Amino acid sequence: MTTRRKTWIGVGLFAIAGTALPVAATLASSSPDVATARHSAGPLALDPTLMLAAGGEEGGEGGGAPVESYLLPNSDPAQYTYDATSEIAAYAAGVHASYAAASDGAKTLATAIAALLDKPTVETLAAARKAWTAARPSYLVTEVYRFYDGPIEAREGEINSWPMNEAFIDYVVGNPDAGIINDPKSEISLVKLILNNQASDESDVTLGWHAIEFLLWGQDLSATGPGDRPVSDFIPGQGNNDRRRTYLKVVTDRLVADIAQVTEAWAPDATNYATTFLALPPREAIGRILNGLAILSGSELMSERMAVGLDSGDQEDEHSCFSDTTHQDFVYDVKGVENVWTGKYPGYTGPGVRDLVAKVDAGLATEIDGLLADTTAKIAKLGDPWDQVLAAAPDTQARKDAEAAVASLGVLADSFKRAGEKLGVLVQIPTGG
Amino acid sequence: MLRALFVVVAAILAGASALVLTSGGALTGAADVRAELMVTPVTPDLGGGTTRVVEGSQAFTFVAPNSPAERQRVFSFGNRVFNTKWAEYPASVQSFDGLGPTFNRNSCSGCHTFDGRGRPPENVGDPMDTMLVRLSGADGKPDPRYGDQLNDHANLHVTPEGRAIIDYTEVHGTYGDGTPYTLAEPHLRFADLAYGSLDGDLFSARVAPQVIGLGLLEAVPQATLEALADPDDRDGDGISGRVNHLTDHDGNPAAGRFGWKANEPSLREQAAGAALGDIGLTTSLDPRANCPPVQTTCSDAPAQADPELSDSFLDRMVTYLQTLAVPRARPVDDATFQQGLRTFTAMGCAACHMPTMQTAAAPLPELANQTFHPFTDLLLHDMGEGLADHRPDHEATGTEWRTPPLWGLGLVPVTNGHDRLLHDGRARGFAEAILWHGGEAAKAREAFRTAPAADRDALVAFLKSL
Repeated sequence: MTTRRKTWIGVGLFAIAGTALPVAATLASSSPDVATARHSAGPLALDPTLMLAAGGEEGGEGGGAPVESYLLPNSDPAQYTYDATSEIAAYAAGVHASYAAASDGAKTLATAIAALLDKPTVETLAAARKAWTAARPSYLVTEVYRFYDGPIEAREGEINSWPMNEAFIDYVVGNPDAGIINDPKSEISLVKLILNNQASDESDVTLGWHAIEFLLWGQDLSATGPGDRPVSDFIPGQGNNDRRRTYLKVVTDRLVADIAQVTEAWAPDATNYATTFLALPPREAIGRILNGLAILSGSELMSERMAVGLDSGDQEDEHSCFSDTTHQDFVYDVKGVENVWTGKYPGYTGPGVRDLVAKVDAGLATEIDGLLADTTAKIAKLGDPWDQVLAAAPDTQARKDAEAAVASLGVLADSFKRAGEKLGVLVQIPTGG
Repeated sequence: MLRALFVVVAAILAGASALVLTSGGALTGAADVRAELMVTPVTPDLGGGTTRVVEGSQAFTFVAPNSPAERQRVFSFGNRVFNTKWAEYPASVQSFDGLGPTFNRNSCSGCHTFDGRGRPPENVGDPMDTMLVRLSGADGKPDPRYGDQLNDHANLHVTPEGRAIIDYTEVHGTYGDGTPYTLAEPHLRFADLAYGSLDGDLFSARVAPQVIGLGLLEAVPQATLEALADPDDRDGDGISGRVNHLTDHDGNPAAGRFGWKANEPSLREQAAGAALGDIGLTTSLDPRANCPPVQTTCSDAPAQADPELSDSFLDRMVTYLQTLAVPRARPVDDATFQQGLRTFTAMGCAACHMPTMQTAAAPLPELANQTFHPFTDLLLHDMGEGLADHRPDHEATGTEWRTPPLWGLGLVPVTNGHDRLLHDGRARGFAEAILWHGGEAAKAREAFRTAPAADRDALVAFLKSL
């Protein structure tokens, strides 16, 4: 948003909302004692209107209720007469279907990890890795639902945090005793992992997809391939293996619970974030949808995940560096954009944002079709594994292709901003758009 | 006469500096600089050409709109460095390891969330997630056991130094019209101290300030600061204002501009200092790990020889900090804004929170020759016993603080979800912050305290609109 893109945790805002869910109720399955956690993840059904003033005396000195508006400033409401009811409803249903699929993906991964822990062999380790790689796309297509006040914001830091603090978790080259796994004095439990001595808020935790990836693959020390953790690391009773096994189980269970929580927040026929979202004035809902599309394309993916890696000169400056599967991260982030645009979600199809834009500017809708196709093609063409592109010399074709993909994402993001102008909503892209 | 002044200002804007001041300039020259800045029209475009019309939680996070297109890549990279959660050495991503051994947070944005502002813990005893405590021995030098800052986190196998706890007592007061108010007076204590008591040391609790507009403040000519300074109050207005003279990293004399006591002369030094002190990252400026001799678990921790935050990354982060856009003020209308400004000036606030500053030459073209409205003179002022930390810092005394800029403060409830103000976040909203003012600001505080409620509300509304 930096914006975070600041890391989009929303800790500050959520923490003061004073409406945190009882964690025990939400996570009893994985860890009953997490109820003692002082810093639970924030409320999932965040309603900005529930925000309490942060202190202050009478006389309105408090923070008031910060509510972001996505309405284009100084726009005339009478100017926007289109009906977006069906598209907004379809989006909410599509989001829920996507998270439900991601939830299933995480559960499938958990099953494969349980099989690995039950019988650690070269085959079960390979199967667990394959399951991780296969499950990732189901989550990646949901990243387009980030970057507004959606329920993912409270959880994203522990679902998909990166870079990974590897040496906090397990041994690393040059430090065989590193990590909580190799420190018998450290308790391995969910509470410990969230409230460890490094994490006093959710943004510092060492959990999520990439923690699991690190445990399955180990450090990527190869210039040409992924990490190669030996299966002997998981044999029960040897060395600190039991602690490693526990850690892997705890973080896997937490990932499943986290994604399930976000899924529930979008479930139909419940009182949750989806209820709030569907009750928003239509242009406020469209603002959230379009900002998700634009910020994922033009900031998170274009800049944070691609351009900065190209500029840092570090071969492992990539999200899925242990498994060398970063290229698929890019492909499915863009697929998520396409899903919202076309209305074709995993397991659900309805009117897409394209239909909405076509109501106000058919030419622009067609233009965005083309830009999206162009971006998709350029992303597909990128070198795989991505770390080979990062390692490539400045003027190589691999680098040129990468720069072309970066540029196309910027153009695509700008087109969503223009769509916002037509629809009367403000799209703000942190990279200056 | 006024017309003539505008001509002078225009000439300055055109880069033809009308004033050449020696250090500490002649009194007339100083008066001229102040007078000219004070008659410059103030508009809601607080950041001059770097102003962006933005609201909402991301308001502090955008690049200046007048930055050239080629700045974007560097800005984004710097932003990424600012947001990176550093990992312990050694990690796969070698560019981003080196956290600790002791630290406060593992990223810059951990405290400056959304490039915004930190706050004290919500409940007594909660971790200080977005603030820290500076330390020195009774002699004003860093504590030999703890250094100059309490690091409450550490890598595995390293001992954290301890933690600080703030609790509050209520201080009651009354406005001139009889309306009561309550202030929260903070008291600092420590727990889990690993290397012995801190009794007798000097402490200063500091929240992370918002990081907008810093490139402009960095580019204000030192001559302007010297001209505005009035250490002996020769103009008899009760306001001194001193430059915190210090030596920069290259050994040259410089004016402190950044930090709550203006103890850092440049963004590069400020950022490198924070990288080491807050995250534990060595740089070419501070190549040695932050491990006092007694902290053996700290010195024994694995470390790399090269700077953990490379020059190339640090430089790009500095560019990022220099080019963050300043959000446009959000007054109801221009008349209200100008009326608020008149109230602000009439109560005496503008004497230190100077509405207007100007740059001449600057390292980046988008920062050069700008007229902007930070509401600070960047100088040290004695703020009285109520706010004093009694911890000197270079030339700053234990009762002096640098005037903080006011731009963006009205957005903090939206960007960071709170309204805590002052160096340690003790004030809950603008009124309390003003009521804490003492020392040179006592007169202005009294003007506010004794003003009719309508005027007080108008002033607060003006501040909220910034």
